[in-house]
Amino acid sequence: MMTHDEAYELLAPLALDAVDGGTRDEIESHVRDCARCQSELDSFRETAAALGNGVEPLPDGLWTSIAAHLPERVNLRGVAMPPLERFATASTAPTLASAPRRGRQVVAVLLSVAAVVIALMAVNLAHANSEVYQLRGALASAREGAVVSALATPGHQLVDLRSGDVRLAQFVLVPNGNGYLVTSSMPTLETGKTYQLWAIVDGTPVSLGLLGRTPSTVTFTITGTSGVSALAVSVEPASGSQRPTTAPIAVGTVKA
Amino acid sequence: MGMDKFNDISDAQLVTMVARYDEVALAEVYRRHGGAVYGLARRVLNSSSEAEDVTQEIFLRLWNQPERFDPARGTLRSYLMTQSHARAVDAVRSLAARRRREMNEASQTARSAYDLAREAWDHVLSDEVQRALAALPDEERRAIELAYFQGHTYVQVAEILDEPEGTVKGRIRNGMRRMRSALAVAGIQGVEQ
Repeated sequence: MMTHDEAYELLAPLALDAVDGGTRDEIESHVRDCARCQSELDSFRETAAALGNGVEPLPDGLWTSIAAHLPERVNLRGVAMPPLERFATASTAPTLASAPRRGRQVVAVLLSVAAVVIALMAVNLAHANSEVYQLRGALASAREGAVVSALATPGHQLVDLRSGDVRLAQFVLVPNGNGYLVTSSMPTLETGKTYQLWAIVDGTPVSLGLLGRTPSTVTFTITGTSGVSALAVSVEPASGSQRPTTAPIAVGTVKA
Repeated sequence: MGMDKFNDISDAQLVTMVARYDEVALAEVYRRHGGAVYGLARRVLNSSSEAEDVTQEIFLRLWNQPERFDPARGTLRSYLMTQSHARAVDAVRSLAARRRREMNEASQTARSAYDLAREAWDHVLSDEVQRALAALPDEERRAIELAYFQGHTYVQVAEILDEPEGTVKGRIRNGMRRMRSALAVAGIQGVEQ
């Protein structure tokens, strides 16, 4: 285990990418828990960036090549659901291994519902694409400003809600307890359904509010709610639910 | 939304728009910083085609993982340059085994290689950065340039310069601190829009 002094004296070489893999991993491991080293490393990286800051004319066709790859991010085909155990660990939902027979059937139904949701995602992909592109002009709105402000707030935390390896939504939490939806690729739900956001507190889902059929701008607060270990989104009836009635479609861990 | 509409939008706001799948916002990020990202990769790799690959990878990474940029930790330019440099160095080090065999020979020719390379960089480095770099003691400047622009680890730099690793480590650290102070005074620490 690398000491603080050992890591500190290697921060400048690290900022120049002049440290080999094993040592680099050790330094980065230390830096993650050391605010002083993180600050020093960030500062050295700014210096290194300035050092290499010679702008050259961009080659013709490079942007075209980049742009041609952009739609891949919203390709949800073949998306795997998050393991049910992941949600169950953070909540009171039964696991496949421990649930009684009736519970297993419930879980099987939930998995079926989840599969339908994923199918909906694929079917609605084009529609979702269209909708997120409509958000392009929304930056000037006050709500957008709040998100930007939150992203610039020291101590903010980004929470990715994922389904397998795919991020379906991202929230930003700021130290005063407010939270905002930064981005969402969750597709529009059918009429009569809504997405609902949950905080997992001491293993129990606590509703943070309804996100609507097409989540776009969302503000919530978790002030006074300590011990939040995760955020999760489930599909619920339009009026919302006191407890999740379906398996979560996306889950994200909240750091203590 | 045309590019002219982005004049009053900060880099951090652009990244938020990128997170919302805004391709035009990504194009604006590319317009602002693509030249620097490409330029640095090209200098480290000494290859236009490989630099294009790196540039493409960096912007696709921003598109796919915009949340990795943390405006509280530095500018977007710095973030993209850090990524570009790291990726370029990875590519350079893929030739590491061949380089290692050439290391003893390289130590004898490092001076001339360094001089040639510096001439090539002179036309693209900003005046202030050049001044700050030139103001460093020779041994500190050489250690930083061998590491940053030629992709050597500090251990390799020590071998090339035939100096103890601890000495090179200290020279890089002291040189970077001097650069940081000089660039801060010159007001060019970080490029943010």
